[in-house]
This record gives sequence, C-alpha cells and structure tokens, in this order.
Amino acid sequence: MRICIIGFGAVGQGVARVISMKRDKVREKYGLDMELVAVTDSTGAAVSEEGLDPDLLLETKKKTGKVSEYPEHGVSDISGLEVMNEVEYDCLVEVTPTNIEDGEPARTHILAAFRAGKDVVTSNKGPLALSYSELIAEAESNSVQFKFEASVGGAMPILNFAHETLAGCDINSVFGILNGTTNFILSRMAKEGSSYEQTLNEAQQLGIAETNPAQDVDGIDAACKVVILANSILGRDVSFKDVEINGISKITPEAIYLAKKEGYLIKLIGEVSNEALEVSPRLVREGSPFAVGGTLNVATLKTDLAEDVTVVGKGAGSVETASAILSDIISVWKSRR
Amino acid sequence: MRVNLVLELLDVPGKLLEALEPIGKLGANIVAVIHQRDVKTERGTIPVHVTIEGDKETLEMVLKSMEDLGIQIMEVDGVMRKEKITTVLIGNIVEKNLKETMEILSGIEGVKVADLDLKMSDHPEQSASKIIVEADYGKKRDVLKKIKEIGSSKGFLVINEV
Repeated sequence: MRICIIGFGAVGQGVARVISMKRDKVREKYGLDMELVAVTDSTGAAVSEEGLDPDLLLETKKKTGKVSEYPEHGVSDISGLEVMNEVEYDCLVEVTPTNIEDGEPARTHILAAFRAGKDVVTSNKGPLALSYSELIAEAESNSVQFKFEASVGGAMPILNFAHETLAGCDINSVFGILNGTTNFILSRMAKEGSSYEQTLNEAQQLGIAETNPAQDVDGIDAACKVVILANSILGRDVSFKDVEINGISKITPEAIYLAKKEGYLIKLIGEVSNEALEVSPRLVREGSPFAVGGTLNVATLKTDLAEDVTVVGKGAGSVETASAILSDIISVWKSRR
Repeated sequence: MRVNLVLELLDVPGKLLEALEPIGKLGANIVAVIHQRDVKTERGTIPVHVTIEGDKETLEMVLKSMEDLGIQIMEVDGVMRKEKITTVLIGNIVEKNLKETMEILSGIEGVKVADLDLKMSDHPEQSASKIIVEADYGKKRDVLKKIKEIGSSKGFLVINEV
C-alpha cells in the first residue's frame, strides 16, 4: 500500500515512527506492505515512488526542520495538494494541524483524495467537526474508505470500538473526558489546591499545554470530539456550532475544595446524548470511572445490550495517536482485500 | 400488609434506634432489619433495609413520622423515592443571590434544598457554593435545568453532576 502523509508535525512523525517500528510485523501478520511514497510539511515534500525511509525522514526533519531536505528526493515549495495530484498513492494520511475556523487545508485534501478514488485516514478534527456529512457523502459516492479513529481520544479506542466491537448494541449516549490537557490541569488543581493560572503555567512548562492554550482550556478541542462522536456513533447530523461549550478557565480552588468535601472531582466532560451536546465542567464521583488523573482520556458508552462500557487511554502523544492511525491503515487494507 | 423500606442513616450512634422508634410507637411490627455498618453509600451514609408490617393507615403514619424526624427514606418497595443532586456554583454569591437561588429551587414541587456550603475567596467572583438538593425521584432533569437557568441569569458557572 502506497501511503502519502500530508503534514509532518507530532502526529505525522509518529506515523513515520510506527511504520518504521511495525513494518515487518504488519507485513508478516496482515500481508500489508506499507510504503511511504510522499511526505509533506509546510516547507515542501519528500517524494519517491520507490519508497522513502521513515527513519531518514525523521532524522532529516529533526536536523533541518524540513522534509524537503530529504536526500535526493526532497522538493521545496510544493503544496500538499500539488503532491497529491502528482504522486501515485493508495491511502492518504491527513495529519495537518486542526483548523476550527474552516477546516482547511485538510478538508480540501480529503475531498480531493476521495474524488481521486483514494482511501483516507486522518486525525484532523477540523473538517470532521465542521463538514462531517459532506465528507461522509463524498467518501460514499466514490466508494472509498474514510477512517478517523485518531481524531477522538488519541490512542483511546472509541469509534472503531463502538462500530465493530459493540456492533449490534444501540449506543444511547457517550460521556467522556476528551481532552488530556484540561484533565491534567484539573487533576493537579485537585491534588495541590493550586490556582488555575498557576497550574496552567506549570502545564505549559511541562509542554502539556500549548503557549496559546485556548483550544484546550476553552473546551474547543473537546467540542470537536463531541461533534465527531455524535455524528459517527449516535448517527446525528450536527456541527461544531451545535455544541454548548464551557471551558475550565473559571474553575477555582474554592469550587474544587467544596466538590472534594462531598466526594466529587471536577472534570471537563463531553456529553453526547439525545438531550445534550455539551462540553462543561461537571462533578464526577471520586472512585468512579471518570476519576482518572494526568492526561488520560476516558469515555463511557451507554448501550442497550451491554449497559455501560468504559474505555480509557492516552489522549495525545505522537506515537500514541499514530497507533490509532496505524490500526485504521490496517483496517482500510483489510477491507480492500 | 408489608412494606420494604430502604433508609439512609448517618453513621452516628443511636441513629438506627431513632429511625425504628416510630414503628413500634405507632403500632406497626418490624419483620426484618438489615443493618451492615461496613456497607456504606457513596455519600458515606449507611443503607438500612427494614421490612415492616401493619395496616395501611398505620404504615402511612410510620412513613410520615419518619420523614418528620428527618430520616431519609430512599426506597419504598423497591421504588426510589428521593434522589440527591449536588451542584457547585462559582461566582460572586452575595447574600441576595443566594437567597433567591434557594427560593427558586425550593419552589419546585417535590424539591428541597438539603445542604448548602460556601467557600469564599479573596476575589469575590471566584467564590464557590455547593448546594445539595433532595428531590422526588424523577425530578432530577427539571432541577438540573433550573439550576442551569439560574446560573446563566446570575452569571454563575454551574458545575452539575455527570
């Protein structure tokens, strides 16, 4: 399978790393030969029909910051879309940064791939949160596979889990901690009694929160995931604007103290149900499945046959997120055979 | 007739005796009492299963008398009677706001404010209050909706249970 990776940030590099780590095993186990034929970043691309060396790609990116510096096969000043038009590939891995304004350029990349009859695997929440039904319809009309497990909860299995493992169950709602950064901050505040600003600062120093933390702390990232879960698992037709969002920046140590006194923790919870599409700070019982600390993500699916099923996992991280992309690539391959 | 009750008692000496007192006093009989001190609810209270026997009027009087004594009757013959709803509000809770909030909540039929706790901050807008509401079973959705409304009209950040 010829793979084209658009975007070579943390997730794209994670994909290259897991391909390098797992290539032989995947070939042996599934008969799938993963070949990287093109990788792009904001500066250009590395393109080779014979296949690129993932380790050399990672090394080149680390040393120069540009995939276009890849020996012999580097091309500078070429866009992702141009590469997609010129290179022969089977599966697009779209891992450019999430853009919640208009979903671009990922939306254009994904639609172009569909129209060219290519399968797509993505972790990009922007186009999914804004144009879900358009993307699904386009994938269907071109009879291609579209997988996006990595877009919700990183390594935590949820979409494929709901569709495949829980196939046959009606899923009535999903409640979850869908953002690792806010979970880290709230967990630290509960443990240390520290203020929000102080804890955010600490998270930024540890590299857990970004310099501009708005997407995480204002609940935007979690809201994108709520939209994806609602569309994909509950079969709704909703978009980002349908989610009621409250972030964590107003949470105070006083509130955490009162909650704790009553045996509760405060967590930023995404609710996907027929009553609400919501991201808000909520009280969860200490000792309940939602009482996970650190940057973990967790989700409880309420089903008719199996009752409550809860999944927990790393919600972010380069290789962790790439693990979900790898499993999507394998499942695209299986369905193609 | 017989009726099975689940009471919720504080883990304090004498509470069980106090809860059972109206039964004999009003002429009903105790058929069984299951009281395990090491089994606690998530609220830290002890659930006590009591089966009592008597005529209908007597049993009704017993239930009423227990409620008057402030004893929590959570279930009657397997049917939930009450649920507790805990909410934390963040915001500048001046006296008036608080009173109004309590009045609105208590104004809902079958709902009463059972507990209130405040934690003031040096920055008034960061102060928090915890309200525990006791509601007839099935009222939870209404109560949560009302609390949200209060929050948005008074500018509180509302933190409800999951």
